[in-house]
Amino acid sequence: MDVTFQHISKSFGPVKALTDVSLTAKAGTIHGLIGENGAGKSTLMKILTGYQSKTGGTILMDGNEVILDNPKQAARHGIGMLYQEPMDFTPLTVLENFSIGIPGHNRRDLRFALQNLSVRFGFHLDPDRCVEQLTVGERQQIELLRLIHCQTRILILDEPTTGISPAQKEVLFPALKQLAADGMIILLVSHKLEEVATLCDEVTVLRHGQVTHHTTAPFHFPELLTAMFGSVPERQDKAAVREKGSPVLVMQKVEAAGERQGLHHCTISVAEGEVIGLAGLDGAGQSTFLRLAAGLTIPEQGTIQLFGEKLPKKPAASSCAQALRTSFIPADRLEEALFTDVSLSDHFSLKKKQSSFWRSQQKAKKLADTGISTLSIKGQSENTAGDLSGGNQQRLLLALLDPQSRLVLLENPTRGLDIRSGHWVWQYLRNKLPKETSIVFSSPELDEIIHYSDRILVFHDGDIVMDSAVTDTSHDAIAAAMAGMKEYV
Amino acid sequence: MSKTSSKQMKKLSIDILLGGVLVFGFTALVLLIAGAPVFATLKNIWLGAFASTTKISQVLSVWVPLTLCACGLLFTFRANLWNIGIEGQVIMGAIGAMAALRIPGIENPVLITALAFFASIIGGSLWGLFAGLLKTKGGVHEIFGGLGLNFVAQGFILWLIFGPWKRPGIASMSGTELLPRELWLSTPPGWRVSIGGLVIGVSVLILTWLLLEKSMLGLKLTAIGQNPRAARLYDISPVAHYLQSIIIAGGCAGIAGFLQVTAVYHRLIPSISSGYGYLALLLVMLAGYRISLVPFLALFFAALNVGAIQLPIVLQLDSALSGVIQGCCVLSTLFIIGIRQKRKQS
Amino acid sequence: MNKSVTGLALALAAVLMLLLSPVQSKASDNDFIFGLLMVGPANDHGWSQAHFEAGKDIEKHIPGSKMIYIDKVNPADRPGVTIPFLVDDLVSKGAKLIIGNSDDMTDGIREAAMMHPDVKFIHISGDDALNPKSPENLSNLMGRMEYGQMMAGFAAAMTTKTGKIGYLGPLINDETKRLAASCFLGARYAWTKVLKKDPAALSFKVSWIGFWFNIPGVTSDPTQVAKNFFASGADVVISGIDTTEALIVADQKKKEGADVAAIPYDFQGGCETAPDACLGVPYFNWYPGYAHFVNNAKNNSWKKEWLWLGPQWSDMNNNMTSSIGFQNGKALGGDVQKQLAAFTKGLGDGSISLFTGPLNFQDKSVFLKKGETATDEQIWNLPQLLEGMEGASK
Repeated sequence: MDVTFQHISKSFGPVKALTDVSLTAKAGTIHGLIGENGAGKSTLMKILTGYQSKTGGTILMDGNEVILDNPKQAARHGIGMLYQEPMDFTPLTVLENFSIGIPGHNRRDLRFALQNLSVRFGFHLDPDRCVEQLTVGERQQIELLRLIHCQTRILILDEPTTGISPAQKEVLFPALKQLAADGMIILLVSHKLEEVATLCDEVTVLRHGQVTHHTTAPFHFPELLTAMFGSVPERQDKAAVREKGSPVLVMQKVEAAGERQGLHHCTISVAEGEVIGLAGLDGAGQSTFLRLAAGLTIPEQGTIQLFGEKLPKKPAASSCAQALRTSFIPADRLEEALFTDVSLSDHFSLKKKQSSFWRSQQKAKKLADTGISTLSIKGQSENTAGDLSGGNQQRLLLALLDPQSRLVLLENPTRGLDIRSGHWVWQYLRNKLPKETSIVFSSPELDEIIHYSDRILVFHDGDIVMDSAVTDTSHDAIAAAMAGMKEYV
Repeated sequence: MSKTSSKQMKKLSIDILLGGVLVFGFTALVLLIAGAPVFATLKNIWLGAFASTTKISQVLSVWVPLTLCACGLLFTFRANLWNIGIEGQVIMGAIGAMAALRIPGIENPVLITALAFFASIIGGSLWGLFAGLLKTKGGVHEIFGGLGLNFVAQGFILWLIFGPWKRPGIASMSGTELLPRELWLSTPPGWRVSIGGLVIGVSVLILTWLLLEKSMLGLKLTAIGQNPRAARLYDISPVAHYLQSIIIAGGCAGIAGFLQVTAVYHRLIPSISSGYGYLALLLVMLAGYRISLVPFLALFFAALNVGAIQLPIVLQLDSALSGVIQGCCVLSTLFIIGIRQKRKQS
Repeated sequence: MNKSVTGLALALAAVLMLLLSPVQSKASDNDFIFGLLMVGPANDHGWSQAHFEAGKDIEKHIPGSKMIYIDKVNPADRPGVTIPFLVDDLVSKGAKLIIGNSDDMTDGIREAAMMHPDVKFIHISGDDALNPKSPENLSNLMGRMEYGQMMAGFAAAMTTKTGKIGYLGPLINDETKRLAASCFLGARYAWTKVLKKDPAALSFKVSWIGFWFNIPGVTSDPTQVAKNFFASGADVVISGIDTTEALIVADQKKKEGADVAAIPYDFQGGCETAPDACLGVPYFNWYPGYAHFVNNAKNNSWKKEWLWLGPQWSDMNNNMTSSIGFQNGKALGGDVQKQLAAFTKGLGDGSISLFTGPLNFQDKSVFLKKGETATDEQIWNLPQLLEGMEGASK
């Protein structure tokens, strides 16, 4: 039995999540689906499991078109998914969780089935233990057995190794291989190239909602990396390297929680006038790094100095950082940086440094109108931030940026912008900010990082695995570091 | 801008109208079931609230503390805080006022009344501050912290009335000894609401409007209420503003407690708050957190409260029916809020 | 849309205007309207209902009289509404005489009396009228329940087997102290003089709940207090509160097989809730007092009075004439009934006078020397409980 996706497309309003995606997963194989965050892997799997409807295209099983409008229909076709976070009921026992969704069986049969399957795959599960006391890996095992018991024929695994121990990985992988050998179709969604390489028979790479590569084992990593991150010509016209000055931001042995893995023993120094790009897969630690520098995240250990002054380890740190003229623009503008129902001019009032007791509407409007015209924001000073489009929201944030900033921290500054707007943002940053202003930014686009930075830091699972001047490294080396491959250079 | 606001106004007026129809329909249904004449009942409530200047002044005496509580709540709702502890803040304000009024040796009634006024503000805001600190330092959600503090305040006032502040020789829940006449806030003959109370109520209303709509504080509270994470990027401390707003709310509630003591009951009683804190919560929600509607809805609630007394007198209806009508209003409120949210989502 | 909204608003306004137009029904000139403010519900089988029924009797027996009333007049049930407000309402409905039936209303009635000098007021259980400075339009009325309580105490002591009597008290004030003390004196008389038992073997315990009836969260729960009495060995509980929790608890215990009984308070029908466990009920009959004041007010012969009306000893249960009554209950034994009748006769003819020395207060100080009999004023203002009683005096 095979599953075939034919010309699948999916749009959310004007945003295209998937464009003309076609692929076939054959019975008895493990099919890897790789790509950066936002590449469209999850959307494709949600369509297969019936959680989302597709905009166009067809899905065939054994050559026949199937309709997967809701999760129930998908389950009836034998499609099951193992989620990154176990979807179980923690107060219940292993056996009770195993029984969920299996109608009309008596307890004894189920217990027997559970024990049988455990033995077959080498899992050690006590049916009467409470799930609360189990590790993520063990909970995943219950879920897997349950799916097998429910006659699942197409098994989707979403980043299955994220929360589990290496030992559990050793148990899981043979189990998956055995299932495939028994004729199951397994779709593995991952961004860990090494795992994909050891497990999969075939791999499809998605990038920006399109299939960029399809190949069978054995795999050639540079090929996959290029497909994942796109290929750019090596930067020829390096932007003039700015003068390196005194240290602006110094982190010493910083440990912090946040994102997936937090940030570990981070020791780094940023000099005046440097532009530093932070590369890494989503959640590898770049965002934590930026928030630490902005004083928004408090380190568990280590010290952070801004312009020679130690940031205090309390919530007032962000206030200190701002007093030292450090600005931060987060990626999620409406979630973290703007007030949806507050007007543009009020945003300017709020941003003003010396705030008076009364609001001065005229002054704020004047400021806002100036900002609107210099940054060509499409909107009026009375409009609310929520009224603006994503690009204009970013322009608004730039307009609100303190022009006297000495350190500017940007999280994915061109997120959601088209190429022209993105370019415009960088023009603005480069031209409007004084030369001695340091810029630290993160981006999921390698070309953006290579194009605009003087120096690159690569993050992987909470570690800085590479720190290099842009002139001393290559696109492939960065991509490999991002994927966590130490041996590949 | 003007286009959207007129659209909003229209939506709002529809809401109000819908609310009115709902309240009426609901009430009529309940009255019919209870076997009461619908129109006669409503007419009597209306007459009981507005038929004479005395009645209107009675309504106003309820309106003032209700409006004060609602004003306080506008601040906390701005910051997206559920200050359910407002009830306890009224009680602590009343206790603060009474504590000041009991200070021996001050002869000047104006001085001691002024002292009581400030003591009530301190009492109320202190109680608000506790709820705020529980939230910001202890991580206790303000609803649970507030409810807990309400119980503490209720227990405290009972203890005072039954214990140290009881009438000589009498231990009764009926309250402390009556204040001497010169400490009653003056009420013109024929009126039932003190001028002082009215002046305070209207001033607080105006002050609230100024602070919320015209000052940076109001704007900052709006910002924090909408997005506390973003606020930090504007160097606005959510913690400091949570505390500020809840202290202001406690202060307003405290003044309500002061008026309950000096202008309405002239003593401390266990139910000194008259449930105005909880009523004000509903009122502010019904007003869609808009100050412009607060005084009118407060008048409506107050009129219902006062007018419903007619029912047992004139129609021999069980007095509990007035409570049922209030319940209908509350239900309709919740219903409209539900509709509004649904509309927002879609 | 806009048009229909405006239209609806106009219609609403029109309806409101219509409602606003004065349509107050004018009472005919001969009618005499009196208003009654009751602290509890009008059907509480206790204090408030006794007043309510007296008012109904007045309507029946005094031609042209008409009652309007408000019940549940207490700050817990009617938040934000004060006595003067309610008096305003009653007066605007034409009331010429207002009766406030609770001690709790003292301050409010006094204030209202000053606001409405042309309306007459009766405050039940108060003593404002004794004060020469008090307003002329305010009188007081009370029944001499001391006798009823003595009989209740007598019946309880004659019935108890354990020698333990519980007294479920409301709040502590002069009135409740003198009633509890009277009850105790009646019980002690039965115990020592009739049964000839050792006074030390009689336990008489008073528990105050904090108000005249249960207000959840504010007062102690009377049901729980009554249960505690029975659990600690008492087999008769006398209620001094307005509602019948003690009797209901006794009835439950009796159904479970315990040999217990209770005595409710202040309403003639008090036993009806659970007749099998009821020894009897001392009750107020407000009709004679009401009739006195209503007639005076109607005939313009009102004067400020402080009335403390006693029973008509020849026929205590005559509703027209006796202000205090005692209705025997089913649980009262036949012998005890006879002895109670003899006791009552003794009280009536003065041969038994219980407020006679030697009597000491709870703190052992002397209340009455040997042979000394208390004056009305001494009884009315009884400062503390008596020696031999357990429970708080303040």
